[in-house]
Formats: sequence, C-alpha cells, structure tokens
Amino acid sequence: MAEGRDEELTDFGYRKVPVHEKARRVGAVFDSVADRYDLMNDLMSFGIHRAWKAFAIEMSGVRPGEQVLDVAGGTGDLTARFARRVGPKGRVVLSDINASMLRRGRDRLLDRGVGGNVRFVQADAEALPFRDNAFDCVSIAFGLRNVTNKEAALRSMYRVLRPGGRLLVLEFSRLRIRPLQPLYDFYSFTVLPALGKLVVDDADSYRYLAESIRVHPDQESLREMMRAAGFEAVEYHDLSGGIVALHRGFKF
Amino acid sequence: MDKKLLDILACPICKGPLVYREARQELVCRADRLAFPIRDGIPVMLEEEARRLPADEEIEEA
Repeated sequence: MAEGRDEELTDFGYRKVPVHEKARRVGAVFDSVADRYDLMNDLMSFGIHRAWKAFAIEMSGVRPGEQVLDVAGGTGDLTARFARRVGPKGRVVLSDINASMLRRGRDRLLDRGVGGNVRFVQADAEALPFRDNAFDCVSIAFGLRNVTNKEAALRSMYRVLRPGGRLLVLEFSRLRIRPLQPLYDFYSFTVLPALGKLVVDDADSYRYLAESIRVHPDQESLREMMRAAGFEAVEYHDLSGGIVALHRGFKF
Repeated sequence: MDKKLLDILACPICKGPLVYREARQELVCRADRLAFPIRDGIPVMLEEEARRLPADEEIEEA
C-alpha cells in the first residue's frame, strides 16, 4: 500500500495493519492451517476444546426444531453438536468467510454422517446475509477474535436473532490464575509456534494465534461490547481459569 | 439450492430479498445490482466476490 496514506489501523496479533488488510491476512492464516486445523486444536488444548464447546452447547439451551446459525463455524465442531440437538425439524447454518475452512467443514460433517439439517454459507460476520429475526440461536466460537470490526459483527448477529434468541460467544479470554501466567506465556509464545512449525510447518500462523488472544477484549470488555450492540442479560462463565470464556446475551 | 435456506438468505449489504437464478447458479440483489455466486452448492455472500450487473442486464421478478 502507498506510504503515508491515511488509513485506520487494526490489530493483527501484536502488529498493526490497515483495516482493509486484516481480513486477507487472517484468510491466509486459515488457508494455511485448514487441513490440520482439527488436529492442531486437539494438540494445542490437550483435547480440552471439546469440553469448552460442549459447555457452550449446554448453555445454548437449543431445542428440537430450532434454527441455529454457527458464525465463523470453520470445520463444524459446534455445528455437528447443534445439528444433533435441533433434530430433523430444525436447521443449522454453518457460515464462515473462508472457503477452505467451509469446504473442510462440509466434508468432515458428511464423513460423520451429519448433514441433512445443515446448510453452508460463505459470509462475513460483519455483514451477515440473512433476514432479520431469522435464528433462535447464534454462536461464534473462536471466531470473534479474527473479525476486523467486532462491534459490527455483534450488531449483525443481533439483527438476525429473533426476539428471545440468544448469542453465544466462546473465545479465549484472560487467565485469572496469576501464578500460572508465566507458564501460560511460555506455552503461548514458545510451545505453540513450535508446535505449529512441527505440525503444519507454519510457526507464524500460531504466533498470530497466541498474539491475537492477548489483544482480544477481556471478559468485562466483551460483556460491555455485547451490551452496546443491544444484547441484554449478558453473562459470562470462565472456563479453564479464564483461558477461555463463554459469553451469552439475549435479544428481547 | 434449498428452498428453506433461500427463504432466510438476504443481501449482505441492503438485507433485501434475493432472486435465485438456477441456470446461472447465482443469487441476485435487485437493489444493489449484485449477483452472488453459488459455488459447489455454497452461496458466496461476499460483496467482493459478487458480479456487478451491467446496466442493461434485466433482472427477473423474485
């Protein structure tokens, strides 16, 4: 880009990049890791990400027949669980901005025998291509961090929820256990990039992951952002000592 | 293209309804004059991926 051009900057991990560039950079990260994404999640979190996701599903209160939107749903972990809960009369829409992740998600769900009630849409969380009040539940798991304009994404998710519907945000947050901080730092900035190098031959993507977690809003800040977007009765639960938090808010 | 999905899809820009062109495999917003491609059965609802309709291209009723 031209030097000296006046443009707003946004975070890309610890670096600042022009707003219009973040989406492309995040896209490159996920193109690079899509094939091994699920394996890496298991390795990085020692499998605990499954428990975090199970908790999110539990808190969703989703019932048979409901309409669910899984935003930035990537390879479909949450979608598979929602699909079982809503049953044949319900529907889950898996959306992701990244075509590689979405294809991987579709293949994976078909392999697992999930799919009759699942639909796929390539979409930007900031400008969701759905009518107002279309969903009973919207979820975004480990996705909000990567969105350039988080406020716009929250407003967009609010719009597509029907009154009485709820949003679930599962995302890395702030560790609450002080004595563990040095260990968590070492793991994030030394072990993770090394693991990324080893498994997907891409240390940079996992360095981005570690950094993006640290610049993401903490528990209270995200709650405030959700309120500002219109959500009510917003609450959160720390998981694994706050490494991850689940936020839930309602549209009334 | 699934009818029920079509019912809830909207233009990501104006949130208005879309026209489904089965033969061309695209979803058209009349107001914004954009055609969103359906690739491999997946609607690609991104403005930067959409085809801008030339002024003389007529759009059928929904």
